[in-house]
Formats: sequence, C-alpha cells, structure tokens
Amino acid sequence: MTIIGRYLMLNKDEILLDFTLFYLKFMAVTRKRTGLTVVFIIILTILAVLFDGHISPVKEDGRTWSVPEWMPGAAFWNKFDFHLGLDLKGGTQLLYQADTSKIDSQDADSAVAGVRDVIERRVNAFGVAEPLVQINKTQEGGYRLIVELAGVKDVNQAIQMIGETPLLEFKEQNIDYSGEEIKLTAEQQKEMDDYNEAAKKKAEEISQRALAGEDFGNLAREFSEDAGSKDNGGDLGWASKGTFVPEFEKTIFDDLKPGEITAVPVKTQFGYHIIKKAEERQAESGEATATINGTTTAVAVDNREVLSAHILIAIKTAKDMVPPVDQWSNTQLSGKNLKRASVQYTQSTGEPQVSLEFDDEGARLFEEITARNVGKPVAIYLDGEPISVPTVNEKITGGKAVITGRFNLKESKDLVQKLNAGALPVPINLISQKTVGPSLGQKSVEQSLVAGLWGLLAIAVFIILYYRLPGLIAVLALMIYALISMASYRLLNVTLTLSGIAGFIISVGMAVDANVLVFERLKEELQRGRGFGSALEEAFKRSWSSIVDSNVSTLITCGILIWVGTSVMKGFAITLSIGILISMFTAIIVTRSFMRLLPAKLIEGQRWLIWRGKKSNK
Amino acid sequence: MLRIVYKRKIFFIISLVLFVAAIIALSLWGLKLGIDFAGGTLAEYSFNDSRPDVGQVRDVFEQASIEDVQVQLAGDKEIVLRTKSLNEEEHQELFAVLKNSFGADKVVENKFESIGPVVGNELKNKAITALLLSSLFIILYIALAFRKVSRPVQSWKYGVGAIIALIHDLTIVMGIFSALGHFLGYELDMFFVTSLLTILGYSVNDTIVVYDRTRENLFHSAGEKFEDTVNRSINETMARSINTGFATMLTLIFLYFFGGESIRIFVLSLMLGIFFGTYSSIFIASPLLVVWQKLGEKKK
Repeated sequence: MTIIGRYLMLNKDEILLDFTLFYLKFMAVTRKRTGLTVVFIIILTILAVLFDGHISPVKEDGRTWSVPEWMPGAAFWNKFDFHLGLDLKGGTQLLYQADTSKIDSQDADSAVAGVRDVIERRVNAFGVAEPLVQINKTQEGGYRLIVELAGVKDVNQAIQMIGETPLLEFKEQNIDYSGEEIKLTAEQQKEMDDYNEAAKKKAEEISQRALAGEDFGNLAREFSEDAGSKDNGGDLGWASKGTFVPEFEKTIFDDLKPGEITAVPVKTQFGYHIIKKAEERQAESGEATATINGTTTAVAVDNREVLSAHILIAIKTAKDMVPPVDQWSNTQLSGKNLKRASVQYTQSTGEPQVSLEFDDEGARLFEEITARNVGKPVAIYLDGEPISVPTVNEKITGGKAVITGRFNLKESKDLVQKLNAGALPVPINLISQKTVGPSLGQKSVEQSLVAGLWGLLAIAVFIILYYRLPGLIAVLALMIYALISMASYRLLNVTLTLSGIAGFIISVGMAVDANVLVFERLKEELQRGRGFGSALEEAFKRSWSSIVDSNVSTLITCGILIWVGTSVMKGFAITLSIGILISMFTAIIVTRSFMRLLPAKLIEGQRWLIWRGKKSNK
Repeated sequence: MLRIVYKRKIFFIISLVLFVAAIIALSLWGLKLGIDFAGGTLAEYSFNDSRPDVGQVRDVFEQASIEDVQVQLAGDKEIVLRTKSLNEEEHQELFAVLKNSFGADKVVENKFESIGPVVGNELKNKAITALLLSSLFIILYIALAFRKVSRPVQSWKYGVGAIIALIHDLTIVMGIFSALGHFLGYELDMFFVTSLLTILGYSVNDTIVVYDRTRENLFHSAGEKFEDTVNRSINETMARSINTGFATMLTLIFLYFFGGESIRIFVLSLMLGIFFGTYSSIFIASPLLVVWQKLGEKKK
C-alpha cells in the first residue's frame, strides 16, 4: 500500500524515471540470480495484466481501455490513458499555413501563438474532447498550425469557426445595467403564464397516455423537449444521488418503485417531467468514512443508483421572456485600432506589465473612452470572452497605455498573446485536411488487431513446432512481451495510430529474431557435444553481440524517423523502438531465466524436447 | 554445407538482372505517387442501401460541372473519389452533389483527405532526408561495431557491404512498385515510405547478423582462407535468417489478407523487402566481402 501511496503522489515523469532506474539496476543484478529474476518477471507480468485491463470498444470520452474498478489501485492505473490516433478513433486533422507577412518578424512568434490560443478556445467551445492545436515551424521559417479534432460531427462548421478572424473588442459599463432582477410587464407575465398552463396540460395528457400503457420510449421520442435524452427514448442512464435537481431526485429515489411511472407530472425549474423508474441497484463502492474531530468512523451512505427515463415539457421563466441586459456595452474601439501589445517592466519595481499601442484613430477613441470612465472598469473581450478588465485611473492621451496589476511574467505574456491575436493580422489558410469517419477508424482498429493476433498465433505455432520446448518458452516470453508493450504504451502516453500498430507487429518479428538467434546457437553448441547447461549459457553469451548490433541499427533508423519524420513515420518509429527495447528484455532475460529453470537431466534424457538439427557432416 | 560463396557469380548475375530491370522500370514509369506526395484529394463515401455505379456518379458530377473527378468502387458499398486539392467550400460542394443526387441520409463520408501541393513536396523532402540520414548513420555504426576487425577486410567495408545490399533491396522493391503502379495503378502514400525505412532496418539487421558471425569466426580461424570462413559463417547463420524471415512473413501474410485496405500496400512492400533482405544478406552481402578481399590480394 505504501508503495502505491508513494506513487500516487508522484507525477508521470517521476514514475518513469523511477521505473527506468529500477530497470537498469535490475539488469545489473539479474545476470546470476535466476530465482529472483523469475519472481520479478512474474510480478512484472501481473502488473502488466492489471495495467492492460480489459479491451473494450472506444468509449465516448475517447478512452478505450480501463482497469476494472474492483482491482487494487484501479484509480492509479486509470490515470494513464490509452490514446488512439485520429485514424483509429475517427476525426479531422487540419493543417493551416499562417501568413505572417504583414507583421514584424520579431512579433511573429507571439502572434502565431495568439492565433493558436484563439483556435484552441474556439475548438474547446465547440465541445471537442482533447483537441490538439500545435505550431510547426517549417524549414523555410514559415508557420504551420496543426489542428486535430476528434469526434466532430460537423467538420465544415468547425472549419468555418476556426477560420474566422479573432475579434478584439473594448467595452465600457452599460448605463442600463442595474444588476437587479428582471421585472416583467403585465402582458409578458400573462403570456408566460398562458404558455406554462398549456405546458402543464400537455404534460398531463402525455402522462395519461404513458400510464395507459403506451410505449414510454416512443412518447419521449415524440414529445420530450429534453434534447439530450429525447432520441434515446428519454433514457437518463444510471445515476446516483446528487445528480439531479431535488424534486426529480425525490421522485426517483423515494416515491417510485422500479417499473413505475409518475401518476402526476413532476414540476421542476425546467418544466414538467413524466418520469419512469426502470431499475434500482446498490453502487459497488459501499463504504464511506467521515472524519469528525480527528476520529474516523464508518457512515451509512445512501449509495443507491437508479436507472430512469423522463419526458420533459419545458416551461418558460422570466429570463426567457426578457433577455437580461448585458453588463457591458460596445465601444467603437476594436482590435484593428490596436497596433501591438507587449510585455514591459515597471521602472520602479521591475514587475511585468502589459503595454498597449494604438493607431491614430484608436488613440482618439481610447482617449474618449478613458475620459468617460475614470475610476470605472473597461473590459477587453476576445471572441466574446473577457480577457482583461482593467480600471481606468485617468484619461489617457497619445495612444499608449499600460495595464498593471499583480501579473507574473507568464500571466502578462498570456494577456499580450491574446491582445496580439486580435491586433496583429495573421490570416490562416487551410492547406490540407484529413478526415476519417469514426466507423472507418473502428473498422481499422478491429481489422489490424484481429490480423495481428492471428499473425502472433501463427508465429507461436511455428516456433513451438520448430524449436519444441525452447519454442514454448519463447512463446511465453512473447506473450509477456506483448503485455508489457501494451502497458508501456499507456504508461508513456503513446498515441496509437495505424502505423503505430504496424510498428508493434514488426517489433514482434524483432523479438522473435532474438530468440531464433539464441536457439540456433543453442543447437550448434549442443551439436558440438556440450551439456545442456553450458550450451545454454554459451548460446546466450555468443548471440548477445548479434542481437545488440541488429537492434541498435533498427533503433538508429527509428531515431531518425522520430527526428525528421512526419506523424505517420513517428507513430511507427515510436512503437517499434519501445518494442525493441522491451524485446531485448523479454527475449534475453525472460527466456534465459525460464530456460535455466529447466531440469537439465530431463532434457539430456528426453532428446526430442529440443530440436538439435541434423548431424552436420563436416 | 552450401557452397554459396564459391558460386557467387550466379547470384550476382540474378541480382544484377533484377537491379537493372528495377532501374529501367523506375526510369521509364517512375513511382506513382499518391496524394500524400503529389497533393490532391482522396475521398471515400459509403452508401447505406444501393451503391450507384461509376457512370452514375460521373454523370452527377458532370451535371454539377465539377470536373476531373476520378471515381472508383471499393469494398461492398464504398466509392473512392480522386481529384485535385480542394478547399473546404469545394469539399462541401462535392459532398452536397452526392447527397442531393443519392439522398442526404444515404451517403456517409468515411474519409476525406485534401493535401496542398506544398505539403506534398515537404513530405517528399522529409522522406528523402530520412532515408539518406539513416543510411549514413548505419554505415557509421557498423564501422564502429566492427572496428576490431581490420584484416583481411577493413571494418568500414562491412558497412559499405551492408549498404550495397540495402540499396539492392530497396531498388528492387521500388522497381516492383513502379511496375505495379504502372500496370495496376497502385498509389504510394506515407506508409510506403515507412515500409522502405523498415526494409532498410531489416536488411541491415539481417546482414549484420551474418557479418557478426564472420567476425566471430575470424578470431579463431587461423590458417583458414577468408573465403572459407565467410562461407562457413553464411551456412551457420542461414537457419536463423530463414526462420526469422519466415516468422515475420507469417504475421505479414495475415496482415495482408485481414489487416484492411489502408495498409495493404505497406504490408506488400514489407513482404517483398523482407524476402529480398533475407536473400541479399545470404547471397550478396557476404560474397561481396570476398570479392573485395580478392581484389585487394591481386593488387599486392
């Protein structure tokens, strides 16, 4: 427990470093102590199995694998994710050329970074899981932006949104804004009441139909106004307490029994709900503790979960009738008036501050705004989001202003980047687009996995038939190899692409090669008349240099691919090089340790256990 | 024991013929580059119910005056379109034409790739850089690994021998794909370059294992002729070369048939590369060392 506890506090890099050091120390001691090694291999394998968990289809949040909750330390293992590339889970990769010709070269880095931030924010707002927006400098010094979007249904809309020029606005406080609650006129109040009365009637009608035995799912699909659950027949999934609003919760947890439908629609802030409780169960984590005054006691917790469905008939509230008055109103000053923003340091304290420089028109507008708002805040908006709300100290003339505050350097740089994104024109131009539909990606995963598994099986059969007992051990080592590889992809956060899977499969070939080298050597040494024990040691010793040389040359190729290659090449090279490093371990240490455990006498007696080749006739 | 080194002329002639044929194919037809390198658009659509035939799709595009679209059938219900590089508006227009003609909910876009010519050129450069750099570093590594062996053949010559075998393998594979591209329309993508680099790794790897044995045998081969040592080394490592090649080939065969359309060319190229890589490490790379050594003897 303490070990796990310790690891929970470390970050991923530290864990990796720790493992690597352990691995190296371990390689040093294992030369002699077979028993210890075998114990270690078994532990490592069990860890890898835990780590790999079970294979499941791609889940909605993009995770594909997870360790079941009941396993010890599941929370820890699940920290590491198994990433699938866009070609496997489906998604779009967009490549933009950033045109920095209109701005000073010294500002280019910051300006392009600003564009990246803008795109990132827009993509996030679009609801994309784990979007990736990267800047790539080309060899000619140009800038490229790579945008990866997973699981976007409407790529066209995303492209439109990304391509828009960022909008930087300066706003001042709205005089109409009072901050008070909305008051409706009598007419509006009546309109709202009428609407809600009609909604109530409608809900009651549907409720009757549902109680009369009509299919709940069909009713939900036809009438429900909850866009999120409507198409699933109103299904809300399993939920524990605290998920829904109190009125709803009381109904499904206390009032209804499984299978029942509400007799009268339940009213909440959203509207009228016709609710069906399908099932109830106890959640698995049944215990909870509370710490009061330093003593920990077990507490009875309501850990029921309920599977329910509902049909919503929405009602209107005052906010729907009168849109709230915005706190801020627009000014004419915008990003096109801002020449540039930069980080400066105050002369007195050396603290970073953000300086703004306007063009002539901007200077005039800014003077007017600051004159109107002395002692009041003004807001700077980028793409409709406030990025800074400084208070005006005095009227500012001359078109130069500074924003001071308790900035650290990073914060001030961030702000400058955002301001420049609106100030410096960096048009972006879509030069390449790759979209893979989710079904095609899913198909690719399945096909390559199935093919890979068959291939592995074929290799296993071949090796066992040819080399017999050592072959069996090699297959065992190969299985351990596959498990550890999978675990390390998760641990190292490798993004698995189609080319990555190909790299893994090729690395299996390399892992086999190391074993084949050793076994052929073993055969020769046995032919020379050595006993099994000494032939084994000799075989491992002699084949070592071949294994190292051949693997190093492959690693060199991988290194160069990772260095200069494209993402397809990189994906391949990364899994291949991880595979090679692990296969050196499994093919040498795992195979050798297990072979050493074999009873030499038995093998001497049962000669058929090892393929010894034909008597050579030299 | 097989007398490979002594019959080296036969293998040299076979390889030379293949090599020259490959060069001729490459200079006549070149490599048929896919959109990854040449730029352009590749799109795949699948149809839920009935798939229109090529003629229907062509007509539809003609009516909408979208030009230069190549239409191909693929799989059971897919069509593949190839055309010049499209921007997003043109893309939507293309898709809209299909949806309007064959039903909006009947057509699904499986894949859409549009690559500008600039990007294609960059990829080409990257691929060539990667190939050249890898070759260079591998010669250096081999020279380093074999530095203790300097008689009767200097260590760097092992490096050069491995590279000659490598060029032999890569050229023949590319030659075959040049022919496949010309006659069957196989287009080469990013995966193909990756496969070439894998072949590079494998070929060198395979050659090194044989050289390694030669190196080992040279240390205790007093009085034996170089030729005999090399021939013995080839024979001793032959089973390993063939078994490893066979095992890798087994996986590739499964990948070829069940691994899906998108990696088929990649896998085919790997199979060819592993075949020739194994062949050259046995029949070309080591006999070359002997030729080199004999040339050296004659000079003296």
